[in-house]
This record gives sequence, structure tokens and C-alpha cells, in this order.
Amino acid sequence: MARTSGAWAEAYRKKWTWDKVTWGSHSVDCYPGGCPWHVYVRDGKIMREEQSGSIPPIEAGVPDMNPMGCQKGACWSHCHYSPDRVTQPLKRVGPRGSGRFEPISWNQALDEIADGVLDAIREQGPESVLTLLTPEPGAAPARLFAQVLGTPTTDGNAEFQDFSPGFHATWGLFNPVSTMDDWFGAELTLIWHANPVYTNIHWYHYLAESRYNGGEVVTIAPDYSPSAIHADYHLPVKIGSDAALALSMCKVIVDAGLYQKQFVQEQTDLPLLVRKDTGRFLRGTDVSDGEREDQFYWWDTLSGTLNPAPRHTLATTGVDPALAGSYGVLLKDGRRVEVEPAFERLRRHLEDYDPERVASICEVHADNIRTLARKVATRKTKIFIGWNSGKYYHGDLIERSMALLLGLTGNWGKKGTGARSWAIMGLDGTAFMARKDGPGQEAAQRLIAGMIAMRRLLAAGDPTLTPEMMQNRAAEVAAEIGGQGAVMPPAFLWYYQYGYKERWDNPENHDPSFKRSFGEYLEEAVEKGWWDARYSKVYRDTEPRVLIEAGGNLLRRQRGGRKLLVEHLWPKLKTIVSIDYRISTTGLYSDYILPAAQHYEKLGNSMPSVHHLNFVLCDRAVPPLGESLPDYEIGVRLVEAIERRAAARGMTEFKDCKGTVRSLTGLVKQVTLNGAIRDEEKHFDEVVRDNAVYGVLPKGTTLETLRQKGLARFTNWGMVGHGISQASTLRPDEVHTPFRWHVEDKVPYDTLVRRAQFYIDHEWFLEAGEELPGHKEPPPAGGRHRRFQMTSGHNRWSIHSMNMTNDVILNTHRGEPFAFLNDREATRLGIANGDKIRVTSDVGSMLIQAKLTPACRPGQVIVYNGFEPYMHEGWWSQSDVEPGHVKPLGLVGNYGHLKYRIFSWQPIPADRAVRVDVEKATERSALT
Amino acid sequence: MKTVHPSKRQLAWVFDLNKCIGCQTCSVACKVLWHGEEPGTEQEWWMTVNTQPGRGTPRDWEAMGGGFDAQGKLRLGKVPTDEEVGGGWRFNYDQVLRGNGDGVRHHLQKVAGSKTWGMNWDEDEGGGEFPNAYFFYLPRLCNHCSQPSCLEACPNGALFKREEDGLVLRDEEKCRGAQMCRRACPYKKIYFNRMRNVSQHCIGCFPRIEQGVAPACVRQCPGRAAFIGFLDDENTAVGRLVGKWKVALPLHPEFGTHPNVYYVPPLSPAPLREDGSFDEAAPRIPPAYLESLFGPAVHGALDVLRAELDKKRRGQDSELMDTLILYRWKDALGHLTRDPAEIVWNE
Repeated sequence: MARTSGAWAEAYRKKWTWDKVTWGSHSVDCYPGGCPWHVYVRDGKIMREEQSGSIPPIEAGVPDMNPMGCQKGACWSHCHYSPDRVTQPLKRVGPRGSGRFEPISWNQALDEIADGVLDAIREQGPESVLTLLTPEPGAAPARLFAQVLGTPTTDGNAEFQDFSPGFHATWGLFNPVSTMDDWFGAELTLIWHANPVYTNIHWYHYLAESRYNGGEVVTIAPDYSPSAIHADYHLPVKIGSDAALALSMCKVIVDAGLYQKQFVQEQTDLPLLVRKDTGRFLRGTDVSDGEREDQFYWWDTLSGTLNPAPRHTLATTGVDPALAGSYGVLLKDGRRVEVEPAFERLRRHLEDYDPERVASICEVHADNIRTLARKVATRKTKIFIGWNSGKYYHGDLIERSMALLLGLTGNWGKKGTGARSWAIMGLDGTAFMARKDGPGQEAAQRLIAGMIAMRRLLAAGDPTLTPEMMQNRAAEVAAEIGGQGAVMPPAFLWYYQYGYKERWDNPENHDPSFKRSFGEYLEEAVEKGWWDARYSKVYRDTEPRVLIEAGGNLLRRQRGGRKLLVEHLWPKLKTIVSIDYRISTTGLYSDYILPAAQHYEKLGNSMPSVHHLNFVLCDRAVPPLGESLPDYEIGVRLVEAIERRAAARGMTEFKDCKGTVRSLTGLVKQVTLNGAIRDEEKHFDEVVRDNAVYGVLPKGTTLETLRQKGLARFTNWGMVGHGISQASTLRPDEVHTPFRWHVEDKVPYDTLVRRAQFYIDHEWFLEAGEELPGHKEPPPAGGRHRRFQMTSGHNRWSIHSMNMTNDVILNTHRGEPFAFLNDREATRLGIANGDKIRVTSDVGSMLIQAKLTPACRPGQVIVYNGFEPYMHEGWWSQSDVEPGHVKPLGLVGNYGHLKYRIFSWQPIPADRAVRVDVEKATERSALT
Repeated sequence: MKTVHPSKRQLAWVFDLNKCIGCQTCSVACKVLWHGEEPGTEQEWWMTVNTQPGRGTPRDWEAMGGGFDAQGKLRLGKVPTDEEVGGGWRFNYDQVLRGNGDGVRHHLQKVAGSKTWGMNWDEDEGGGEFPNAYFFYLPRLCNHCSQPSCLEACPNGALFKREEDGLVLRDEEKCRGAQMCRRACPYKKIYFNRMRNVSQHCIGCFPRIEQGVAPACVRQCPGRAAFIGFLDDENTAVGRLVGKWKVALPLHPEFGTHPNVYYVPPLSPAPLREDGSFDEAAPRIPPAYLESLFGPAVHGALDVLRAELDKKRRGQDSELMDTLILYRWKDALGHLTRDPAEIVWNE
């Protein structure tokens, strides 16, 4: 074969040569994540990256995962050399937000920041030093100081609302999810509150392939979403009416007797008896003295007697718990009350969800509801859901209704079923590092032995505790004693200090079924001490003084907007630090920007997720640019500076609000394990080796072995993250499906009733009429009179705001923020494709370009999020239009599993279905 | 008169439009690999994905002419203007991020005078009327045609078709920037590099192919929608999809150039009747529209797809569906399965 010749051909050949290849990935909070890449370097500069395509096949007959990656990853190298890259420590010299900075030395920056921290501790207490928990794994080590000082870190889950409150309320599990290759096995996939064509670029193929394999795909979305185009059916459901749709399907299934009776009896609370007089479960303390408050009962139809529902198992051997009827029960005080199974109440409750009636609520034809209900009842069905539903005010109800649909039809705990979301795992090595008593893996073994002993101690108090319950109890105890850097649910801080009080107390932002104001619910929860351990009272008086954001972008992310924070929070802050490899909007409003190494310049791992089950190496391909440093190095240097400045100022210790005395000496020794783990490479290797000890990674895994293969498949869940919520044993040659411990082994759930719980008899839930999942319209937050509802979701073009300013990517869309509008509706309003429009709610307004499409629902404005505020005129962006209101039921903190744990149950703001008006912008001036 | 340009073997691309999700990974992979920051190439996107129906890139390219008429006579269309190609945007980073204390008075935007169109300007807009809107994604690159009109039109003999794999390449030393190729190409996938005064188009990743590595657009497709292989090899997915099952069709066959990029046409969700119930029998995407893109053969191809899909739904085997499922990703790459990271270059 003649070789194509000529100088031109050689020039092209030359472009595709390199002198070095390393494994790479992106240690960012990318929730698909987990992509193994190769990074190609020539003459000391990163040329490009390419997916390695190297993931071994897992289960026979299931497509492999290759080649995981996306367009953002394919030009991440471009961000390394982008004009928004920061390579020197910067100190603000103009007013905040002016963007005027001057370069300073690392020592000066760190000393001044350390002094800011120490001033704050002295003047307002350690609770005034706020660190934000941005989940970017690569940035986490920059926050080491908060871990050793025990200053509070805000639970990021409230900031980005990636929580499925309704699923938690049902299962007591945080996002039990399958691996993505399990999607292939579904016979019916409902893409619902998700847009995987945008958000799961490297995994979407499993949906397409499940369809080619004979499965059916139905997309349920208000708009003809990009994830509807490859579906078999699209149900254009009215915005926020999904619960009604799910419940109507439940009604069809119950009426037709298509529900899985045994699954319902065994896995759910629906056979448990509820008192007709109070609407509360019949409890042990009702029935006899000395019985447990959390003992619940069913009626066994075989023996015709009242039986305690076993707490140690889900098995219903020898009994047939009633799902219907009414029974008389003698209470311990001699009274006789009528009780009925929760299922009986559900059946009555579902009378409101007749398909004909629901058709008018959801704007979905009754026949379509019936047809889909029968399909769900007869097929292995998976709900492909994202983290969209939880961002609706009534997202809990939507998710509880979806879970009910799956529960009635037995659709969890076997392959090809369940509800997809996302869950993190495998962080043990990183999280436990500073708690080891020295370097090396024997120290890791001692630590883990201690943790296991603690669980044994817990189990001694209650032998029916499952491993999952022990894990959760241990996490609760750790949180209460302030372990793990004192992560706190930030809602109370926000209410008292961030300026949200007025908005959250505004009844227009709430459902009319709440008889009291938000403030009354909040004060009751605080006064009753439901959140005592979590700083609920501290911020009534304590003002924040220091804010440290490493890897995140608060002023882009926080619902409620830049304006609110800059007006209410910023004046209280004396030191604001952005640790980042780029200048974000938050960076522009900071006092200091510390330059972090980019992802191919440091050691790290991609977001470890249950979805792919791989620990994926991000290696260092080139040294950090300019003066930038790896996050771990920044973290250690900041601890060193705090210790140095404390010594110089004669500060040796301080007391936190819980009375715990915290030392300001020996901090560096603690984080570096007596100096042994000082540099990044050593630290990362130690993390990996420890993970192997903790059983999370295969025995013998080290940085060196990772450098050979680029990744290692997880071998166990570990104790940090949501691994244990998967409730299934990992198998090396099978797709992972959650819930198998419950469904196959009959292990109880960690809910109040120890079953999947659809009936929640908390007094506030009863008061709101939400003891069973129901449909409620989204409150008219944003303005009752406004004609549009704004919806959102992750976009296709960036990871949050990361990569949004990459000019390769900017050239693949309109190169500026835009909103989708229905074409005909926009035309009637005099808005043409490409026009600048003004989107206004009661709390704010933004200017944005209009994109017109028949795919957008009339009355809907779709703004995919992630645009930097500084990409908008006047820097007014989407979050400025969102009130950031919170549903009061999230404040329940005293009920079984409705209790705070990190990254779990807590009050979270809503941002979907905000009422707005849309008009063609007539003036070009920035908004005020 | 139309000349025949036989190549011994022809390499072909297949894109499964039922798997393509418009993510632009192919486009970006190509852009970063072959252009990077090179001045003169700002507007060049040899690989693009557009939402159909739409005006595409270059804007309204389908009406610009080129190719051969029914008699095989070369037709010269128009050269797309820079404005129609669009993109190449630069942004005012320094003004916003390193300005002089102006803060919110400046926001990040394209610098003045930027083009008002881009390579994916009408992304996710499509056609129809809500709730029966419709759209799908169409990836496009040089078709490496068997009857390349660009080659025919070039006054400088710069273009040639490789014998061994049928790639249509350009000797950039011979190219004088006459841009007749741009007039003649009916797909308007040829760009002009003003810095070097040469036209440029997809080089089929020939340096990769020489090393046994699949082109970037194929190897980097995370949707597993892209396939490559020799047309005459029925052991490859490409050979099976094009030759055996005939479900992969060229775009605008009426342009007369015999393209070698093939598409598995899109299925679509059942449309809704006026009352909101599903009309299972009716197509959502108008068949006439699909025919306008892929010719009359599209109807038969869709029938085959539906029939084979139905087999799987009834629990039967289907070689076609299994090919499209692509159990092992490397089966998409034909003979080009080498991992590029294994290559060690010796100068």
C-alpha cells in the first residue's frame, strides 16, 4: 500500500504524535463521571485526550461500558490553557465584584487567610468560619483545615438539592441505584424527571440498546425533551403533575388486582394497621406496657389475630397479613379502637385518582394512563429518574408516588427494575485519612477494627439492627459528636443569616395546606430540638465571618441568587476565599483566589459512583501551570499557616459551640500523619492502599497498579457515601441491582416501620394531608399572576459552570445563555428566535436569548442551568429569578428515618416550576 | 462527463440515528485533534451534528447546490459565505475576568462583529407542532464519495481518492484556494483556511487509519452510534448494516456523488391525536421529510428496523438488532481496533 506522501500529509501525521501518555479523568462533580481517558502530551504541553475504551466486560450478554466520555471531557485540556485559568494567588484590590486583583505570594495569601480564620474564631466563634461542601473530589483536600478544626461545613446536598426526599421517605435509603449496564435488562423504561440525552451522554446507549433488545422506552416530560426523541412514547405531562399520573396508574393497578400481593405484604408497610381514630399506626405502646413504640402490627387472616410485624425480618412465613378490612383492637387502657391496614386507606385515597379525572390534571389521555399502568404491572420496569423531581416543592410527593407504583408492581430488587438516580461510594480512604493514628496500612486496619467494634456495641443494644442500620446509626453518632468536619444542614444558617427569612415566610411560596407560616414550622423544629446537634440555634446570633469555597461556585449555584447573598451575607464576611483553577463568579466576588492545579496536573480520581463501580485514576500528566498547586498541597499549606499564625498570636486552642475544646497545635502532624504523608503522591497512594484495606478496592491495589490499568472495579461498598444504601452484595461478574438484601434475603429496611414506608404518620404529615403520597400543585412561587413556569435541568454543554466558558464548547451552541420557548406562543408575544428576552419573577429578573421550538410546552420556559452569572448582562442569572423556597416538611427531624444524616434528609430549596413572565427585552441596559 | 474513480476497497461510516444523542463528542474530538488553536481554522468543524429538521451548517446548505445532475453532469453550486458557515467566535475574557474594576458592567460575550450563525445554532429546535414536535440528530462529515464532485471540479488536481480505502484527500501543496471544490460539494463540508489560502476538509483521520486506529469521530462516540469498516466486508457491522440488511442509507443520494457515510434512519415516538390519545399507526416524523433526506429507500429500511425490533419484543433473535446493540464496542471499529495509547513514536 503506497503511503500518502507530501509535506501536507506529514504535517497532519505530526499533529497526531506525542511523547507521553498518561491515564486521565476528571476529578470533578460530574455525576455520570467515571470515564477513563488517556492524556497525550507533547513537548510538555497537553495536546488532547481520548477515551481509553478499556473497561472490561462485566456480565455475559450485556453490552460493555466503552467508550465512556463526552464532549466536555474531549476538550478538557482546552480548559487548562483557557483565559479563565488562574495561575497565581490573587488578592482583591478593588471593591468586591469589581474584578480588580493583584498577584501576591502564596505565603502572604495563606497568612492573611489564616489570620482571617483566627480573627473570626476569636470574635464570633468557630461557627463563623464556613466551608462549603462542594462535592468535586479533586477539590476536597483543599478543605483539610475544616476537618481538623471542626469548623462547620455546609451540607452540599442542600445547596444543589441532589436529593430524592420522597425515595428517602419511602426506603430510608439514599438513592439505591443499579449500575448503568442494568438498564439494558429493563423491559420497560420510564424516563421520568430526567434528560439522559443531556446528562448521561456516555451511558445513554444502554437505553437505546435496551430498546433494541426488545424493551420499550416511554418518556414522561412536560416538553418533547431531547430524551423523548428515541422513545416509543412521549407523555407530555403538565408541569409538576407527575404524582397524579403515578397515582392514577396505581389506581388502575389496584382496581384490576394487578398488584403483587406478596411483594406488597412483605416489602411494604401497606399491611400495617392504622388507627381510625387518630390516623396513626397502631404501636406497641398503644397495645401493652413495656412494648416498643416502634413495634407495628398487622392482621393475620389465617389465624384471625392481631400480630406484631416482625422487626428482624420481612419474611411473612406462616401468616397472611390482611390488606383490606377493618378490625377491632383492645388497647392497653381498655379502650377498643378500630384499625385498618394502610392498604385499605390507600385504596380509598386512590379514589381521587381516577384516570378520567387525572387526565384533566395531567393533560394526559386516560387511555394512555391505563395502557401504561398495565405495562408497568406486567413488565420488568425501571424508572430512569434524575435529580429533577426533588427540586420541585412537592418532589417528595412525586417520588413517593413513583415508588408506590414500583412497590405495587414488585419492581425493585431484581435486574432491570428500580428507580435510577445516582449515588457516591468508595471514599473511605480519603475520608478516614486524618483519623488514622499513623501512616501505613496497619493503622488503617486498627481504625477499621475500631469502627467495627463500635458497630458491635450498637448491635448489642438491639440485635435486630441490620448492617445498614448500624452504618446509619454510626453516621448519626459521628455527626453528633462532630466527627468528619462537622457537616451541617445549612437551612438554619440560611434562614437566619443569608436573607431567606422573608422569602421562606412568604405564604405565596407555600402550599395552602400548611396552616402555619414557614417560620412557625422552623421555630417549632428548632425549639423541640429536632436539629439541635446540627447548629439549628447557633446562627440566630452568630454571624458568618469567613467563607471558603474550594472547587465550587456558590454565586452561580445557590438558589435565590447572587443578589440575595451579596446583599445579606457578603457584608458580614470579612474573608472570602475561592480555591479554584479558574475565575468563577464567586471568585470575582472573593477577597482571595488561590490557584489550584487543573485535573491533568494533579493526582486524583474520577467521581466514584455506584453507577460504574470503578475507581478511575486521574494521573498527573504535566506539572501545575504557573504557581498553581495541587489541592492537597493547598490544604496542607493552609493548615500550616493556621498553626503558624496561631502560634505567633499565642492562640493554642478554642472552644466550639458544643463545648468541645479544639487544639490549634499539632494540626499539621495530624493531617500528614506525623509528616509521613506530606506530598500529594504519597497521600494519594496511601488513600488507594487504605481503600484496599477497607475492602473497597481489590487487595494489593496501589497507585502503581492503578497506573497500569487506569482503573479498578470496586469490591465492596465501604462505609462512606451511599454504598450501603445499595442493599445488595457486589458481584464481580454481574450488573449491580439494589435492594436484593431486602427482596431476596428479607432484610428489613431502615425506615421507622422497617418496611418500605408509604404511610407517614408524623403529625405534620397528617396535618398537611400527606400521610400517603398525593398530588398537589406547585405553589405559585415567583408570582401568582405570572403566566409561565420556568423549568430547568443540567445542560448538555458543561458540568455545572465548569467548562461553560470553554470556547470550544461555547462554539457548539449559541455561545451565550439561552432559554427555550414554545415557538407559536413566543411568536404571539412578538418574540423571534434569537431575540433577547426578559424573564421576571417577584424576586428578580434576567436577560437571556430566546430559542424557539415546538418541542417546548406552551407556558413553559426551559433554562438549562450552569451558565456563569457573568455570562449574563448585569450578571443577573437564573438563580436571581428563583425564590429558593423550602417545603416545611423537610424540617421534620424526629421521626424514624426522617432525621439528619450527611447528604440525606434535611430541608432543601425548590427551584422548579417558578412562575415567571416573559417579554421581549426592549432596552439593552443591565438590570438593577 | 462524470468520471469514474474506482478504489480497490471503500471505507465507510455508519451512524445509527436511533443512538445519536447530538452530544457533539465526535465534533469536539475532531476539532481538538486536527485544529486546536491553529489560526485560520477557527470556523472549521470537519465533523458536525445538527438537529433535523433545521437549517444546519453551513446555514441552509441543502439548497446551495453541487454534485451531479441526472445525466451525470457536474453541477457547481455556491460557496458558503463565512457568515453562513458561522462560528469561529472569540470572547472578551480579559475584559470580564481581568478588567479594571468594571465588574458587572461587562459580561462574557462574543467580540463585536461575530458571526450570527454557528455550527449548532438551531440545536434542539426541530419541526412539527407541540405536542407532536419532532427532531433527531444528524452527524455529518465529508462523505468520501465514490463519485466526488469536489475532485471533478478542482482546477489544480489537488484532490485524489486513495486506492486502498477510498478516502478523498487533498494535496494541500497543490491546492491554490480556488474553492471550486466548495462550489461542487453538495454537502458543503469543505472549509476555507484564509491564513493558508487552502480549502480543507475531513482527512478521514488517515494518520490514525495507517496505524490501525479508528477515526476520532468513531472511536470517541460515547453513544456507540458510529461504525466504520470496509463496505465489502460482511464480517463488519458496516458491511452487514449497509450490504446485508440495507438499513443504512446515504444522505441525499440524489446529489449523485455516491457518498460513503450511511445512516440508520430514525424511528420516532407515536404521535398524539387531537384528543391526546396515541395514534400508533401514524408516524411522528413525516415520511416525506425522511424521504427528502435519505431517498425512497428509507421506507423499506424503517420497515426492516420495525420488523426486527418486533422480533426482539416477541423474544426472538435478530442479528440486525444484535449488531446495533453492539455488545462489544470494538465491533464498531471494523479492522481499526488498535488502542492508540499503545503506539510509541520513534522520531
